[in-house]
Amino acid sequence: MQGKITRSALWRFLAVLAIHGTLLGAAQGAPQSGGDYSTNPDAKKLPTETILVKGAWSSASDAVTPLPEGGRVSRNVYNNAYFGLAYPLSPDWTEKYSGPPPSDSGYYVLAQIRPADTFTGETRGSILIAAQDLFFTLAPAGSAFELINYTRDHLNADYKVERPPTPVTVAGRSFVRLDYFSPVAELHWHVLATQIRCHMVQFVFTSRDTKLIENLIQDMSAISLPPEAGAIAGTGGGDAPLCIKDYARDENIIERNDPVFTERRFNSVPVRIIIDKEGKVKHIHFLSAFPDQAKAITDALAEWRFRPYLRNGQAVEVETGIIFGHPPRLAAPPPSPAVSE
Amino acid sequence: MKKIRLAVFLALAAAAFFPSIACSQTDPGVRSGPINGQSGATATSPLPLASVAANSPTGSLEFFQNGLARFQEVEVVSGGANNGLGPRFNFNQCSGCHSQPSIGGSSPAANPEFSVIANGIASGSTNTTPSFLTSTGPTREARFPFFFNSNGNPNTNAPNGGVEDIFVVSGLSGAGNCSLPQPSFAIAQSTNNIIFRIPTPVFGAGLIENIDDSTLIAVQAAAAGNSLGISGTFNHNGNDGTISRFGWKAQNKSLLLFSGEAYNVEMGITNEIFGQDRPLPGEDQQGSGLPANCLNLSKTGYPEDATNFTVATNADPAAQNAQVPSDIVLFAEFMRLLAPPTPSTTTPGGAASITRGQSLFSAIGCATCHTATLSSTQPSNITSSLGSAPVGAFSDIEIHHMGTGLADNVSQGGAGGDQFRTAPLWGLGQRIFFLHDGRTTNLLTAIADHSSNGSEATEVEENFASLSSSQKQDLLNFLRSL
Ligand code: HEC
Ligand code: HEC
Repeated sequence: MQGKITRSALWRFLAVLAIHGTLLGAAQGAPQSGGDYSTNPDAKKLPTETILVKGAWSSASDAVTPLPEGGRVSRNVYNNAYFGLAYPLSPDWTEKYSGPPPSDSGYYVLAQIRPADTFTGETRGSILIAAQDLFFTLAPAGSAFELINYTRDHLNADYKVERPPTPVTVAGRSFVRLDYFSPVAELHWHVLATQIRCHMVQFVFTSRDTKLIENLIQDMSAISLPPEAGAIAGTGGGDAPLCIKDYARDENIIERNDPVFTERRFNSVPVRIIIDKEGKVKHIHFLSAFPDQAKAITDALAEWRFRPYLRNGQAVEVETGIIFGHPPRLAAPPPSPAVSE
Repeated sequence: MKKIRLAVFLALAAAAFFPSIACSQTDPGVRSGPINGQSGATATSPLPLASVAANSPTGSLEFFQNGLARFQEVEVVSGGANNGLGPRFNFNQCSGCHSQPSIGGSSPAANPEFSVIANGIASGSTNTTPSFLTSTGPTREARFPFFFNSNGNPNTNAPNGGVEDIFVVSGLSGAGNCSLPQPSFAIAQSTNNIIFRIPTPVFGAGLIENIDDSTLIAVQAAAAGNSLGISGTFNHNGNDGTISRFGWKAQNKSLLLFSGEAYNVEMGITNEIFGQDRPLPGEDQQGSGLPANCLNLSKTGYPEDATNFTVATNADPAAQNAQVPSDIVLFAEFMRLLAPPTPSTTTPGGAASITRGQSLFSAIGCATCHTATLSSTQPSNITSSLGSAPVGAFSDIEIHHMGTGLADNVSQGGAGGDQFRTAPLWGLGQRIFFLHDGRTTNLLTAIADHSSNGSEATEVEENFASLSSSQKQDLLNFLRSL
């Protein structure tokens, strides 16, 4: 028997060969669906004009707490529950395109308002409603007033300042106003800013026609704002938590647990948190984070305990900011201590 | 009396015949005149930086010229000096894709990929030309945002985004029995699961490479108070976390890295940075890799491009030295030493219009992203023109959210599917195709496409729309002067 291949063994061998043959055939011939291949002529279409693959983006730990970027235009009113703001648009003005997500330096495009198709005026114009989180700004500014000064200081030589940052009153609240003009473009920018919950909130009116802008600014008298709003005030309170820059520093932290990141990334992850009266984190807002980063930070912050903040001997809710990930390398000296009571 | 009536008549006639003169603006089109605005430059010999033209340091000019020659080498599967093409590839020569208006540039008018089969670079029995390649359309690289699942549907839970090489070497002599199919381009197109990238020009790339991160960070901070809705960020190199800067999403750190990747991805040539033949993204995802009979087709072993330990002796020592490094090193050196384009001060539209156009470009906010000049580069240990020099690239090198209209749903490094590097605009005057996918040849369309839901540039685009037609024309003339 030795050395002799039995008949059945031979058949088995041939059968294995045949199977190999079909496998090889499949690998080399027409591909199956999967990976880079589809043989399905009725395959599902992806939607167009949709951002399906997001990078670092905004998100929050719960769906009910209002977020700065959560404002909407409806029935011709821009409403923003986070800022306690309601801004009735002038008739024939509307929102055409939504803005980008919050940036990793805490900048928000809240709404971009344009003349509607029904607009009959001769010149166009635009209204930008934007916000800058003063905890995360790259500019060395601690208040709306300082930030508008920074804007003025960084205007290039093409512009002419028509009204340097000046305190004004809109709807009973203090604002800072900056007007500038580009002679070559014949465009005017009138910027009105106030501060709410440690954010600079601004209205930027742009047009060739200053009359149009003045009318729009007149119409701002119908705006409603929280009592805290002010050019150098705006640190929360009322229905909102107090906002305190850098509250999450060592002496206020009783217990902490650093997030364990699974992927090596190099973005800055600004996070706004609301600390409840017991010193626990009750709400987390990620301005800009990858999902894996948001998950790791959420898990870690669940373990954090803060010293409750006392105001007149009473514990109150506090809102503050923390930067996880790689904090931005600041170009200028770090911002002066912003808002603290 | 008569004279006046005639004048009125002529004016009316002119208005009737040339209404565009009175009330609209047009892209002046590709600027004629010297290539890259530089006398002495030709379509096949772009100028090096001034210090390199003066051969300072000694040998730099030889390296530049050797690199220029290698950038134009035509690669084959096996045999001869230039082999290693495939098993998958997009084209067989760097300069095929990077050639407008000169070697190192962008997509040419006649698309070389369209003639790959006709010219025998790939076999017509194993390849078809996908319909997104046309004879006068842009040179393209294709990516599928998502993998297909086993039912053949794009799977939005499985992001892909890698380059799907267009051609296979199968059927060419030298490919033996390596039999590979092309990716499913037709179904990818019918399911919207495909996006395109056109070549970015590399004139002046050495200056971009030599900017210190802190310079970029200072520019970002200076823009922090803008009233235009703009707030960009940076992409970073995954190895050391420093700012990356090359490619449509600023996904790559250096010219050497890009050369190594391009040689492998675009041409299928392994090298000292990317040492394995590259499977398709799906072959990688599914773990199958490339079939064994498609490997080492050059029969040289790996990497196909390597340092040349032995070179022919040459009486000119610099010329002899320049033969030693591998191709990718010389590609990178060539690109690094290329001069940036020189803008025209008079064409199109005259000096006054161009000057006004540049002021408008800045005033309405284009320059808040397209920063006219970054100053200045680090001191250079390579050649003096690269050191302490201004970089007039018209880019902040940041990545910005560009909205649903431009989003390509490909994530690279820190850049998401809607984020792109502010495209450098130097050399724009002689470019043919615009935007990452080459969707248009018209600057007005390129500008209009800056606004859509989720874009940082919507306000600025609105400012452009509010300009008068003569102001718009000035701005277009300025762009075409670059
Ligand atoms: C099939 C066409 C094609 C070929 C061949 C090709 N490229 Fe490219 N190149 C591209 C495309 C497309 C991009 C943009 C890629 C992206 O960012 O997605 C690009 C970008 C680049 C860049 C980035 C420049 C910048 O500033 O962003 C460099 C550098 C480069 N290529 C070098 C090379 C080299 C070196 C070769 C030869 C080894 C080569 N390319 C071959 C198409 C090509
Ligand atoms: C928010 C930043 C931003 C602003 C503001 C901006 N751009 Fe751009 N621009 C970009 C980005 C990012 C790209 C690349 C987009 C793409 O290819 O998808 C680009 C591409 C372009 C291109 C095409 C370049 C190429 O290589 O194909 C032109 C032309 C251009 N911009 C002109 C302008 C003009 C003119 C303005 C002002 C009206 C302007 N841009 C304002 C960011 C900006």
